[in-house]
Amino acid sequence: MWQAWNTGLLLAQQAGAAPQVGSGAMLMLVLFIVGSLWIGVLANRAASTGGFMKGFFLGNRGLGVWALALTATIQSGGTFMGFPSLVYSHGWIVALWIGSYMVVPITGFGILGKRLAQLSRRTGAITVPDMFRVRFGSPTLGLMSTLFILFYLSFLMFAQFKAGAIVLQLAWPGGGDLALSEDAAGISEWRYHVGLLVFATTVVAYTLAGGFLAAVWTDLFQSVLMFAGVMLLLVACLSAVGGLEQATLRSLANTGPGFVFGPGYSADGGQQQFLPLSLAISFFVVWIWGGVGAPAGLVRLMASQNTNVIRKSIYVLSIYNLGIYLPLIVICVCGRALLPDLAKSDEIVPRLALLTTADWPGGSLVAGLILAAPFGAVMSTVSSYLVVLSSGVVRDIYQRLLRPQAPREELRLAAWVTMILAGLISVAVMWSPPKYLQVFIVFSTSGAAATFLVPAIMACYWRRATPTGVATGMVSGAVVVLFLYLCGIMGWSPPQSIGAAGGFRPWFLLGLEPLIWGLLASGSSAVLVSLLTPPLPAEHISRLFDRRTGAEGEAV
Amino acid sequence: MSDESGRQQDRLDPLVRSAFREALVVALIWLGAMVWSVGVSWWLGYGRSEQELKLVLGFPEWVFWGIVVPWVSCAGISWLFAVWFVRDGELGEDLEDAEDLGLGG
Repeated sequence: MWQAWNTGLLLAQQAGAAPQVGSGAMLMLVLFIVGSLWIGVLANRAASTGGFMKGFFLGNRGLGVWALALTATIQSGGTFMGFPSLVYSHGWIVALWIGSYMVVPITGFGILGKRLAQLSRRTGAITVPDMFRVRFGSPTLGLMSTLFILFYLSFLMFAQFKAGAIVLQLAWPGGGDLALSEDAAGISEWRYHVGLLVFATTVVAYTLAGGFLAAVWTDLFQSVLMFAGVMLLLVACLSAVGGLEQATLRSLANTGPGFVFGPGYSADGGQQQFLPLSLAISFFVVWIWGGVGAPAGLVRLMASQNTNVIRKSIYVLSIYNLGIYLPLIVICVCGRALLPDLAKSDEIVPRLALLTTADWPGGSLVAGLILAAPFGAVMSTVSSYLVVLSSGVVRDIYQRLLRPQAPREELRLAAWVTMILAGLISVAVMWSPPKYLQVFIVFSTSGAAATFLVPAIMACYWRRATPTGVATGMVSGAVVVLFLYLCGIMGWSPPQSIGAAGGFRPWFLLGLEPLIWGLLASGSSAVLVSLLTPPLPAEHISRLFDRRTGAEGEAV
Repeated sequence: MSDESGRQQDRLDPLVRSAFREALVVALIWLGAMVWSVGVSWWLGYGRSEQELKLVLGFPEWVFWGIVVPWVSCAGISWLFAVWFVRDGELGEDLEDAEDLGLGG
């Protein structure tokens, strides 16, 4: 114990000098890039059987347990970037902020999984708009869903391109700055531009080759990498600080009581409340229902192989989440004990990686592995967005509206052109990036969930839902969230002292997250308007809800 | 229950019925987890002073009882739910041409 305490002290003293990224980090990233391209080629072979659309955009509905469990609900690069920064800044209370992840596996697969997988087969849907279009017999609803998805995904994708470029920039040997934050110094350096080009080329190339399966398999690859990185870092940090009890006590001594109690520590002496009760409840709603309603997640449920896969995914993801989030919190509490005064809190994971593995044999490579995790997370996120985006353009607009009889090769070409254009536009927009894209990420995530969650639940379970009702639910959910975010951006909301320190906050009306208001608006308006409008023909509903028998079953 | 809704229930695909029942149970599990986690954390972890800090296995007491224990419990419940409660069923074949549905869908 004493030896460990001593080592901890030594490490903390060394921390005064900024650690430099060795060549190990870049080596790991290069290996990761090569691995991803190889996965793209493999996915290309696997997807080339059967029809192009179902193969390229839905992996021929062949997702197995591991691919579905570890990729359908996992968050993006934020898990390794923004989240550790929050723990470092606000303390143990972030465990309650993320606590709802204990039920993400069961809600993510148990609420819509089985029924959506069935409904997508009965409607022949390849995309989420496709499903809405056929389920409600409304091309207008299909087009509306496509436009909403394109709108939200554009923001999400731009931000991820920037994040990918920043990770490559910091992994450059001797690059200096370790912060993963958007306002990290030197963003206009040539390293950022090279990083942006390398990132864009890689991710577009392998997604172009392998489509949906390439996105899923790289996601799986990075999830395994992330698990390994977290486990290594957990052992390294706990042994460096001398155990969890020491970590808690020393981080408390370095900060104040807010670090170990609610509503959380804030550097301004407690004026800002990170997680009051209203927000603690809000986040139990936001993470769960936001995840269930995310379009990229819905597509993966549609691609699941069978119900057995969905069932097993529940407990595989339960174990995975248990091994990722609680250890990450412990790691960052150790970080506050070892490195008490970081100017940029999002340096915490790379700094700890370098600091605690410095004396390990091959420590640079281990640090590189840990640093490669956020890069992998960002790459796989972009890849899945590219697939959803191009499927929206090719399937829901080009094939449905412009060229219904387009042959396979023409559709493939259209998908490729869409992806390349999306990559080029993202590079152009992010060449001189706006400073706080994080705002748009949060808005787009909440907005997408407020737009699609209630309609997806109604599509699956409510026979009486009508196209007009569902369309009203989509629009009202989106408008309410947009309004509350705009109030925050424009400064129209009353002064608020809750939420994360610094940066931007939406209007927490009555202390609640905007998504909750969006879901209330979406749910109530969709139900009301559905009841006021004529139901869909009984025969149509019966084909989607009732058991199939005899001739009907054969016909359908 | 009216005759019509009774007939509707008889016709309902078993997979739709089991999926709906499972979704309701999942929603209850989510609600239970929220009440436990937020309730215990609020009770033991808010508005306290430094002197009141108690550690359990190195975690602040409220984190242990409000987050760690329910998290491990939920992993166990998820396993039980998936193994014992969720029913497998046929997802059916893909509809190749949505026009078959007769609504131009």
